Amino acid sequence: MSDALDLLTENFGEFASGLWVTIRIVGVAFVIAMVVGTGVAAFRVAPSKALNRIGGIYVETFRNIPLLVLLLILFIGVRRAGLPISAWVAGTLGLGLYTAAYIAEALRSGVFAVGRGQIEASLSLGLTYPRTMRRVVLPQAFRTVIPALGSLIIAMVKNSAIVGASLLALPDLLKESRVIQSETAQTEAFIWAAVGYLLITVTVTVIFRRLETRYAVRR
Amino acid sequence: MDYLFSYDNWEWLWTGNNFKFLVEGLLVNLQIALIAIFFAMIFGLFLALMRISNNRWISIPAGIWVDVWRNLPLIFIILYLALAIPSSWRDAYADLIPDFLPDALQDELVLGALIGLVLYNSAVLCEIMRSGIQSLDRGQREAAASLGLTYFQQMRFVILPQGLRRMVPATVSQLITLNKDTTLISIIAIQEVVSAGSTLASVNFGVEVRPAYLQVFIVIGLMFIAINLALSRLSRRLEIRERERTGTKIERVKGIEDQVAAEADVTELR
Repeated sequence: MSDALDLLTENFGEFASGLWVTIRIVGVAFVIAMVVGTGVAAFRVAPSKALNRIGGIYVETFRNIPLLVLLLILFIGVRRAGLPISAWVAGTLGLGLYTAAYIAEALRSGVFAVGRGQIEASLSLGLTYPRTMRRVVLPQAFRTVIPALGSLIIAMVKNSAIVGASLLALPDLLKESRVIQSETAQTEAFIWAAVGYLLITVTVTVIFRRLETRYAVRR
Repeated sequence: MDYLFSYDNWEWLWTGNNFKFLVEGLLVNLQIALIAIFFAMIFGLFLALMRISNNRWISIPAGIWVDVWRNLPLIFIILYLALAIPSSWRDAYADLIPDFLPDALQDELVLGALIGLVLYNSAVLCEIMRSGIQSLDRGQREAAASLGLTYFQQMRFVILPQGLRRMVPATVSQLITLNKDTTLISIIAIQEVVSAGSTLASVNFGVEVRPAYLQVFIVIGLMFIAINLALSRLSRRLEIRERERTGTKIERVKGIEDQVAAEADVTELR
């Protein structure tokens, strides 16, 4: 056990920087996912069949493709095509676009949960459709999807490990612990990586549990 | 765009055995996914029964076990097991594996991948099964107990048949996640579709056309999309039928992306 502790204290800098890289990947990817996801959700609930279909194709594509394959397309595929994309851009973009499909789905179900009646009432008061969305529907929709967003962030933390383990090789928590493991030949390096991941996921769970009780909409 | 749609970059697809090579790789993924879900369901059921046990000494350790495994990245579990599994286990696996299974599964590295997939997915399926069982009315259990059924009989004849039926749609959508996750085992050098794609794009198989990396992986992506789309349609169908039959809604499992999506799929249709 003391060996494991020594491993942590001696390599604390590497573990901490790995943890920080993981948090940064998730943070940037979450912003991308929120922006794209809200856009796609707007497409999916828009009063136009064509837009609905485009949103639907986006969701079905990014939801059903393995993240690893998506990352390889974005990183190596695009590079071979002659565009020098960096591992950071490819990694965060891939994770963001992938999660955007789930965020769009969650938001859409939130919009449906608001109910036709409110939308009709708001339209009959003379608000335009975009205004109805922004002022009436979306504020309520975001509140109903708080638990789903929590789930998706946890899934993102877990998925971010794929960015570090695949050919992109960003120095995230998993990558750093693999480096430490190969240098010291101690598998305990992985135990500390596990502790790091559990720390992040437990923190996210606790934060979202508080958000949920604070903003929850009871239906 | 020119690069993406240029004829030269797609010619590999209908030249030689390239496409067949990819499909063979994909079959390995699907076989591994099916084997993993089979064992994950068995272990998941045991874990679920432990979690709903009235005995705290059983339910709390089971709860911790499940929460730990489902909150770790799957790729982390797979990489860890690739190092941590004793070589004697791997030798035993190589001896035990039946010959009729494909070559890719004969590889002793597959054992670590399978254990990883089963550990992670059994934790997820445990939660799915638990929410299926707990969505049953309390009266079912009480009625069964008042008829004099033992705990085992209550589970066997009353609770599990109904509870597990309810979680069939969620299990199908977990199979989608599992299908996608099988690509991760390419990272520990098992020959499946992603490694097949990389081989294809790097080596020329004695044909004059050299496959382009981007296009190879787009094709692999499309294969997964086709299979998973079919599975998600199936899951949605089952869910609607189940809801019409029982009139209840099952609580989804938190922290799993495809469960969020499955939830969204059916809210649309209520």
